Amino acid sequence: MENDVKKEAGRQYLHYFRFWFIGIGILALLCIVIAAVNRSRGDVPRTNNEAPVERVYDYADVLTAQEEEDLRRYIAETENKLHIDIVLVTFSQSVEGADAMAQYGLRSQSWEQNMQDIADDFWDENHYGYNKGFEGDGVLLLHNWYEGQNGEHLSTSGSVERAFSVRDIDQVLYAVDDYYATNPYKAYRAYVKEIARLMDTSLKLPFSWGTVFILPIIIAFVYAVSGSSQKKAENTVAVNAYVAGGKPELHDKTDAFLRKSVVTRKIETPGSSGGGGHSGGGGHHHSSSGASHGGGSHRH
Amino acid sequence: MYFRCRNCGGNAVYSPERHGMYCPYCESEESGERAEGQTGALTLCPNCGGEVPVEEHTSATQCPYCDSYLIFNERVEGRYAPQMMIPFQMGRETCKQSLRDKFKKCLFAPTDFLSEARLNSMQGYYVPYWFYDYDTTCFFQGEGTKIRVWRSGDKEYTETSFYAINRSMDIRFEKIPADASDQMPDDVMDLIAPFQYGQMVSFEPKFMSGFYGEKYNMTADVVETRAKSLMKADAEKLLRESYAGYSAVKTVQQDVRVRDSRTTYGLLPVWKYIYRYKDQEYPFYVNGQTGKIVGKAPFSNGKFMAYVGTLWACLTVILALLQVLLGLL
Repeated sequence: MENDVKKEAGRQYLHYFRFWFIGIGILALLCIVIAAVNRSRGDVPRTNNEAPVERVYDYADVLTAQEEEDLRRYIAETENKLHIDIVLVTFSQSVEGADAMAQYGLRSQSWEQNMQDIADDFWDENHYGYNKGFEGDGVLLLHNWYEGQNGEHLSTSGSVERAFSVRDIDQVLYAVDDYYATNPYKAYRAYVKEIARLMDTSLKLPFSWGTVFILPIIIAFVYAVSGSSQKKAENTVAVNAYVAGGKPELHDKTDAFLRKSVVTRKIETPGSSGGGGHSGGGGHHHSSSGASHGGGSHRH
Repeated sequence: MYFRCRNCGGNAVYSPERHGMYCPYCESEESGERAEGQTGALTLCPNCGGEVPVEEHTSATQCPYCDSYLIFNERVEGRYAPQMMIPFQMGRETCKQSLRDKFKKCLFAPTDFLSEARLNSMQGYYVPYWFYDYDTTCFFQGEGTKIRVWRSGDKEYTETSFYAINRSMDIRFEKIPADASDQMPDDVMDLIAPFQYGQMVSFEPKFMSGFYGEKYNMTADVVETRAKSLMKADAEKLLRESYAGYSAVKTVQQDVRVRDSRTTYGLLPVWKYIYRYKDQEYPFYVNGQTGKIVGKAPFSNGKFMAYVGTLWACLTVILALLQVLLGLL
């Protein structure tokens, strides 16, 4: 008898969760098949061999040798995943005013224009770009540490130029801004990480791995509570269930008006408020070599 | 007394599905005839002579030896004679199905809770009830307010109007039921209502054949408090309904006066199923006329842990696999 009950319990359990188990099986199978297909396809090979291997140019000397090495490794990993070139250049030099223009042969007195030119030229002259040496896919961060002219310019090219909006460029620069004063290494890691995040086009659930574990706990809790709560029964006796004829015999129904009072209140209209936000970033332009670039600057 | 089949001599019972007497042995209908015992002793089965356990208020039971349903004359006649009754309208099978339908979504109930073997232990009872009729006159006097709000330009106006409310009504309450059985919990008997009085008939012993029954355990004056409080609550609700529409009402005076009252005695049909689980009894009561069920399903901790745990694990695995799968695309 007890064995029969246990068997029945097992049957009911499997019957109840059958679609869940089948769903898990199908998903697991799909994961295996797609992973195998991806593996057989292999990586997208780099087609531009003109560019140098170096990605980190710390002319301003704000990074230690170890930090530079770590950044190179991190950039290499990210490049392999995204198939773009990621370059970092730091320097410390005046790029503003007539003196700088004359001394370094700059085409403008403007800090922003010159930062853009230097970044774009550095990219073009070194023939960076994952797929090709002209207008190839990639991004370069130029950080000027010159006192009073501290700031960054992000130069985008190829697929990154096409993918990044002004807002995306600002996001990358803000990520650098958060840390550059206290920890330049962390700031440049944040640059690479933000590029990776923004360029990652793979499909994702609209929540994090943490939610993947927390959400089922919440749903299971709701399921447990809803499955456990029950009432003995509802009182379904109508108020007139025992009244002969279903309704009372009304003899007097008077509603005599006594008085009234009126209260007046002024309606407050909310005042309009406005605010300004930081607008930054830059649109598309052409460098001196004629290549198309996108980009934007943040000056501190 | 008991009812014997004219054709085969078996015990004929009242069948709710057939709305008549039925012999489960030869399957003949309307063949039952009243038979009296030889001994006249209450505790001896008039059919087989076996000793029948009879409790103080039992008016109908089943012989444990020959399975005949017996009705005790002295507990359904004279001062115990019910004036009316509603015969069972739902048979055992219909009742079992009702229980299955209601509790099929109770996931954490023990597996054998609704098993055929367990549900077969269900028994039909005729529960003794007192029915109270009250002719009442109800008064209400109060002050009501109505609020109107409107806007004009940059101003908002709130107008509050006050009214003197007077209501007077006669309410004739008929057959307010209050069970007269010690064995049946009062709250359950209140919840199992309402019964449809349109199917009320004069008492006939044949309707009791096939079921258990009790005579009243308590006199009408003992249980009247329950009927009166129900009557008062309903009267007050009806008064409230009569002055609905006000934003707020302040009561000045309210009175429910009983001009006349009458009491009658009758039997109402109730199916009872007791499920025993881990040394505890879980009683379920089903209205033998309407099928309304009163009772809470027992809770299996093991099943709860297994189902909640599995759901949690399945959800986690599915979300994780989806995350991985989308990353692979």
